[in-house]
Amino acid sequence: MKFISNVKLLLKITQEYVNAQFTIAFSAIFSVLLLLYSFNFTEGVWRPYVLYGFIIYAITTLYVWLTSILIKKDLTNAQQIERRTRLLGYPLVFTILAGNVFAAGYGFMLITKNKTAEYTFTVYALMTQIVIFMLSALNIFKPYVVDTFIVAMAAFIGFAIIYTVTAILVARYVTPTYAPKWMQVLGIVLLLATLTGNLFATLLGFTLIRKARNSDPSAIEKWQKTWDKILRNTMAVFGMFFIISMFSLSVVSSWTFDYDFATQNNYSALLQGPSFEYPLGTDDFGRDLFSRIVFGAQISLIVGFFSTIIPAIIGGALGAFSGYYGRHTDNIIMRSLDILYAIPGILLAIAIIAAFGANTVNLIIALSVGAIPTYARTMRANVMQIANYEFVESARALGASDSAIIFKHIVPNSLAPMIVKSTLTIGGAVISTSSLSFLGLGVEPHIPEWGNILKVGSTYLETHSYVAIFPGICIMLLVLSFNFFGDGLRDALDPKSH
Amino acid sequence: MNKKYLAFAAATTAAAVALTGCVETKSNVDKESTGDKTGDKPVIEVLGMASQEQDLNIVRDQLTKNGFDVKLNIQPDYGSYSAQKDAGNYDVVLSSWTTVTGNPDYAVRGLFKTGGDYSDTADEQIDKLIDEASTLIGDAAKEKYAELEQALVFDKAYIAPLYISKKFQGIYSADVNPDTVRLSKSRAQAWETMSFNDTAKNATETLVLHQGISSLTSLDPIKGNDGSINTLNTNMYVRLVNLSDTDEVVSEGSLSYNHAISADNQSYYFVLRDDINFAKVENNQAVDTKDLVSAEDVVFSLERAKDENSVPDHRTYSIHENIETVEIVKDITSLEAVKTAEGDTVLDVLSKQLPASIAEVVTNEADVDNAAGKYQVVKITTPTPFPQVLNYLAHQSGGIVSEAAVTAINTFDVASYDPNVNVAYGDQATVTEGATYANHLAASGPYILVQKNDYEATFVKNPAYQPGTANEPKVDKISVRFIQDNDSALSALRNGEIQVLQAVPETKLDVVNGDANLTLKTADSNAVSYLLMNPKGRDIATSLDLRKAVLYSINQDEFISYYQGNKKPAVSTVSPLVDTGLKLEADSAKVKEYLEAYKASK
Repeated sequence: MKFISNVKLLLKITQEYVNAQFTIAFSAIFSVLLLLYSFNFTEGVWRPYVLYGFIIYAITTLYVWLTSILIKKDLTNAQQIERRTRLLGYPLVFTILAGNVFAAGYGFMLITKNKTAEYTFTVYALMTQIVIFMLSALNIFKPYVVDTFIVAMAAFIGFAIIYTVTAILVARYVTPTYAPKWMQVLGIVLLLATLTGNLFATLLGFTLIRKARNSDPSAIEKWQKTWDKILRNTMAVFGMFFIISMFSLSVVSSWTFDYDFATQNNYSALLQGPSFEYPLGTDDFGRDLFSRIVFGAQISLIVGFFSTIIPAIIGGALGAFSGYYGRHTDNIIMRSLDILYAIPGILLAIAIIAAFGANTVNLIIALSVGAIPTYARTMRANVMQIANYEFVESARALGASDSAIIFKHIVPNSLAPMIVKSTLTIGGAVISTSSLSFLGLGVEPHIPEWGNILKVGSTYLETHSYVAIFPGICIMLLVLSFNFFGDGLRDALDPKSH
Repeated sequence: MNKKYLAFAAATTAAAVALTGCVETKSNVDKESTGDKTGDKPVIEVLGMASQEQDLNIVRDQLTKNGFDVKLNIQPDYGSYSAQKDAGNYDVVLSSWTTVTGNPDYAVRGLFKTGGDYSDTADEQIDKLIDEASTLIGDAAKEKYAELEQALVFDKAYIAPLYISKKFQGIYSADVNPDTVRLSKSRAQAWETMSFNDTAKNATETLVLHQGISSLTSLDPIKGNDGSINTLNTNMYVRLVNLSDTDEVVSEGSLSYNHAISADNQSYYFVLRDDINFAKVENNQAVDTKDLVSAEDVVFSLERAKDENSVPDHRTYSIHENIETVEIVKDITSLEAVKTAEGDTVLDVLSKQLPASIAEVVTNEADVDNAAGKYQVVKITTPTPFPQVLNYLAHQSGGIVSEAAVTAINTFDVASYDPNVNVAYGDQATVTEGATYANHLAASGPYILVQKNDYEATFVKNPAYQPGTANEPKVDKISVRFIQDNDSALSALRNGEIQVLQAVPETKLDVVNGDANLTLKTADSNAVSYLLMNPKGRDIATSLDLRKAVLYSINQDEFISYYQGNKKPAVSTVSPLVDTGLKLEADSAKVKEYLEAYKASK
């Protein structure tokens, strides 16, 4: 009896097995969706390309299921995953080419025993790069591509090769506590990749350099532990993957996508369904929906990011002063913010936009103002708690000034809840941006923004539903990703779980 | 090992080179369109409303592609739009016009004549052409209107036409018989013909119609001329003549049996029916007042229609300024003396298909008895030959009101009228449910308004409106539901909440066609959309080159394909009424030429 319960426990803590279950579920869902979509019920014909997609996904699902059985068997017999089972992960890596991020991620996890945070970063940086390469490559079917297209694509391939090499090196030489000195060079190269918006590469480069220099082992351990926790949460990782892919795509889109396809009307291609030239179809003005959504991500992310960071800074500062000084300062600041808090955020935003006109800057200001009080409250609560700790008192006894105490000792120790809150509210900001655009209060109607695109789609919901479905899915996925990532971050940073 | 990497690098390079060869880049494709992209582009500010977003986007796209730097000024509603327009904050403004009277003069006089109701244009040549064209009929008129269009659009470029709309009417044919629902080019919806599929329901069920605007300007026909009351007043007040579905002036369904025009096009005669009485509302029921809609009421109504000072806020006197006199014909011999253009006497024309031939014309309504050959005949004269006056008489503002009812209410002095103290005939407060309710309406038309709120207006049939004839209203009760958003109105139509929708959006035609409960009807319309150039204060006002550059940037074919063929090319607001044979062709070469001339002149 004891032996069986051991296996159950083993299965539960073996990340590969958990991952496999997860991958099976997702691949199966996608297979079913593809199967349903592969048959055109109104015209009674098959869509061949979708059908191929279904076959690939179905085979992948079966394959992953087989590996999960093998893992179970290995764990029962040898209490660990055997090498030949791990080898089965290699073919799965190539499912990234069919867009199956889940299976590819699982494959990468399966092939190595040495799973450091660096390895995960590398693998996801590689997958991000491949996905972006493939999405950009769809532009080949357009009548022409932008001048920088070839160069950018070559750079993508170059980065993909660098990531592959890094993955091999990391798997071989990096342990949870140690990285060889020469990895610093690699780290700098990877930091350069930040220019493509691939934040996985940034994280990887940063971590590698720190580890290779090995100057502050305790900080490295803390950093490592936090990321281990986040990365063990599969949904958080995929959330992060989607956010970073979208971010990177919006950064590189200027070099690989032509803005004209997103804004110039083309009356010979009105309301066309998805095809190779228009991967997501065209809208009622013949504009390519795919290009519009890609460029729309820029505005959604910029507005989402800034309308989170601005109130976080202003609200954080107000909350810190309020919590530290207390009494009258606290009363004046918090009561004023309470008044602001009493005004519904979206109404305040509508009023600001109506008064000052609709453009991106005003949109950011409008969405920021309403969010200040909640950040101030979060910060104030943390500061009030931390201000009573001994280390603050000792700092005061040593004669540190108030501002030094607040910004050097208290604020850094109360940032964790602010970070978590920010990630969770970025999603809300993205939705608010889209809502305002949907109401005609955001950016100008021809400028691609997800809310704008959705608004056009809402007119054609019954006749050409894809015009609304695709931007809708993008908004949903981005918000969902931020929420999953925020959840993972909260679990990792929560002091109670230490 | 190294060899392997080398081979791989070589293969990648080869692949990249091959790829470069087969992909066309933007600069390759763009070579022929050399425009000076770095040069300073003329800035054009386009003003419009959020509801015209699609048109604005197409205009923006076309102007941008032709080398303008376009700034959009999109206002959320009509109020802020007209505020911007009045302030002159635009280079071109997107406007639309519907000629509700169905005659070409109305389509240009108010819009483009110096000092016209809606006009900012001041050009002697245009004024002269408008006046000359109004006196003509047939081919002569067509030629003159062609001359006007040539001057207005092509020579002076005061407007840049976009398109003519069509009408799309949705009918909930599961309940309502679609054959009984008319769709006319100009005239407002006619309610008296409408009937349910099951005619037994006509007496018991309420027919639900739709209107976008719930705030009614005034139920006095001369005090309003807008979408909030046009349909309602058309059905509450009968007129001397009507417009047919194709915009011919007819007596059918009107107060007159027949009408005649004198050969000099300056006198107009109408022989009146005696089977319409005014109705009033008592206890939410329509009651026959036994007061005949008579020649006296006609004279009273038209006299006040043309007199600017007859009521406060008179909105329609300019429509009727061409009426010189309105009188009741006293002597039957005067009808025999006047000939029509065809050579018949007026009496002959008026006598066609009457219940009894005209034995006597009477002046007093008490003496009227059609069955005994006693008729009332009204004569209207115009100072100059102006045959289009009949179209104005068919307009809602030519509706006949009760002399007794109006004079009983309008007892105040017009000059010192104070809306807070005085109640004018047709004030919407008097029919709005609540404390101010005091329905004093007297309807000469097929229906009368009982009461309204923000949600709906309820109408009942006038019991004394041509009873026993084909024009007798079929349905007893009609409710006009106010739904502002057209898409919501369409949803209401689809679930039968409203039964007729006058304007189905072009983007939703497939939805209506695909619904078994609905029937879609299509007709031509007089609605024209066009760009109006700012007449003062901006470069575009003084530079003909700049205006022409805008004009030739407009590609109407693109509008038509955007609306999937549901629009027609236009030249001016006259286009739906007179086919002048002119056509606007987009021409980028001309635009470039005019823009260069404009830049050189600066």
